[in-house]
Amino acid sequence: MLEIKNLHAKVEGEDIHILKGVNLNVSAGEIHAIMGPNGSGKSTLSKVVSGHPEYEVTKGEILFNGEDITELDADERAHLGLFLAFQYPVEVPGITNKTLLREAYNTIARANDREELDPIEFEDYIESKLEVIEMKDEFLSRSINTGFSGGEKKKNEIFQMAVLNPVLSFLDETDSGLDIDALKVVSDGVNKIASNENAIVMITHYQRLLNYIKPGFVHVMMDGKIIKSGGPELAEQLEANGYDALEKEMVLNGEAQ
Amino acid sequence: MSEVIQKDTMLSYISGSVESDAKSVAIRAINERGIVALENTAFPTKKDEDWRFIDLKSITRNQFVTAEEANAIESGDISEHYLPEALNSRLVFVNGEYNRGLSSVEGLPNHVIVGNLSEHADNPHVKEYLGTITNYDDDVFAPFNDAAFKNGSFIYVPEETVVEAPIHILNVFTNAEKPFYATPRLLYIGEMFSKSTIIEEHIGLADNEYLNVPVTEFKMFTGSNVHHARIQRDSKKASHVSRPIAMLDKNAEYHSYTICLGAKLFRNDPRVIQNAEEVDFTVDGLVLIDGDQIADTHSIMDHRFAHGNSHQLHKVVVNDNAHSIFNGKIFVAKDAQKIDSFQENRNLLISDNGKVNTKPQLEIFADDVLCSHGATIGQLQDEEVFYLQSRGLTEQKSRELLVYAFALESVESMEVESVEKLLLNEVIKYTNRDEK
Repeated sequence: MLEIKNLHAKVEGEDIHILKGVNLNVSAGEIHAIMGPNGSGKSTLSKVVSGHPEYEVTKGEILFNGEDITELDADERAHLGLFLAFQYPVEVPGITNKTLLREAYNTIARANDREELDPIEFEDYIESKLEVIEMKDEFLSRSINTGFSGGEKKKNEIFQMAVLNPVLSFLDETDSGLDIDALKVVSDGVNKIASNENAIVMITHYQRLLNYIKPGFVHVMMDGKIIKSGGPELAEQLEANGYDALEKEMVLNGEAQ
Repeated sequence: MSEVIQKDTMLSYISGSVESDAKSVAIRAINERGIVALENTAFPTKKDEDWRFIDLKSITRNQFVTAEEANAIESGDISEHYLPEALNSRLVFVNGEYNRGLSSVEGLPNHVIVGNLSEHADNPHVKEYLGTITNYDDDVFAPFNDAAFKNGSFIYVPEETVVEAPIHILNVFTNAEKPFYATPRLLYIGEMFSKSTIIEEHIGLADNEYLNVPVTEFKMFTGSNVHHARIQRDSKKASHVSRPIAMLDKNAEYHSYTICLGAKLFRNDPRVIQNAEEVDFTVDGLVLIDGDQIADTHSIMDHRFAHGNSHQLHKVVVNDNAHSIFNGKIFVAKDAQKIDSFQENRNLLISDNGKVNTKPQLEIFADDVLCSHGATIGQLQDEEVFYLQSRGLTEQKSRELLVYAFALESVESMEVESVEKLLLNEVIKYTNRDEK
């Protein structure tokens, strides 16, 4: 589904290189976790894959279902089924959740020659998704993220994911700032959405989230590269020994460059 | 050696003379007062502090005539502009001239007067207050209205009377052979504890050049309350210079909302004068301009007595080469303690060539007051655009939605449903204009 090949990226217009050769393959039905210390480039990777204009790809490519999407705008990538759950969801006063989601849903439907939903049909559809994150109706008519608590913002990201039903989702530090109850609701939501048809890539600093959403694949990112990949046991090893220990081990084994 | 410098006056841009033929003594006196002031006041230039940033060329390159001399056409059917809430509380002026046939004032409570000023010229309130509230030093535009107006709106709301239906003052301007001038006039008298909603609208029906110089005077007695919406949808070639002023007695409330959408040149100098203790007023504005439009607001919130609340939120969106100017003066006199005044000017620049000048100006002589002000000039945040785009919206749609959201707050304070709807459509038209 997703093939990232030797991806290099820098901050647009500046000489700050962040991704320095990332390789990653994700197939349908898989859940991946990318872990790494602050500044390793894991959040940037999710933004570059979603088409954030702040970054420029200098080398390598991103293939999505065989198509090179490196030059596509963010909305065109969303039309193909990519989704990014933001680490810091943006507040947009004056536009309700419902307005945004109907516009988004129908724009994606149009781009894929699927039938659009009229306001009444959409109302039914969107209400059926509320249970994914255990939210009430009133959530729909609130301005996007405006005055939301940290937990509500993260739930809203997962709610949007449920409504837009993407093929591939990047969850950027979705666990940060969540108390244990909110973390459970958010994780349950993600688990309900996960299926054999779609794939999820979680970006996280901590092992915590992985207790609730079980990844089949864990990758460790440092200094703009994925330096080690493995199964769930890799996350446990990191939690026990920390990133420093891993880095030392890699150096000893001559695996780090 | 002395030298006489001949300066331009307002009359330099008017073809023919401005003379009073008013039968009413009250109106004639004001006309004549205006003519004297016009002859003795120089037309503003960029050297005048209050006119530094504004380009007045669309006035000074013309010789305006009366609508009659310009052979302005009739308005035809304008019922699409009627407000369903105000079907029987509407005055219509075509090119500044009162139109009885299009007006309808059947649906008003007893003793409320909504009518043509010249027909009520003998009303003791007209005699006493007309022309006494306006107070613009060294101005040429209020005197021009003084000199040239022949009729206008007179609204009188008696003591303890609430007018439920909004009163719609509809000024329409039609196509003509030459640029013409019009001087809409309004006198409002709100007796003690009266209440009403005024929708003052200016609509250009064609795409022609004209000069619209309205003066509105609000005399607000103790405990009276007015919600005054002003919607400026003049032709995009018109010049509009307005002088709305309100004088507030004890416990009076005056809330005004000016929406600027049309005109090539818009200059608005709203003034609210606190004439007794404990008043409450609003001087909000929403400006949506593009092309080469200029919109300039110079407001004064004049606190002369203790205990007042005042509020000003002036929101501006500038596209293309448009230019917005804001100068918001807050005066607090020496003994006017316990004033709570808030001013905010938020500007959104959505093009590379748009221009914004903003200047809050606080002159506070009392020591126990709460006055805050702020001005921001911003562009849409990239992160906001990316957020919406990542949900599948095109970049253009994302930007439109964000501009729409920015303007929405001001539209929601209209209180009259059909006016809110009308303005929402205008906001959508403004933000969607490039879409097929």
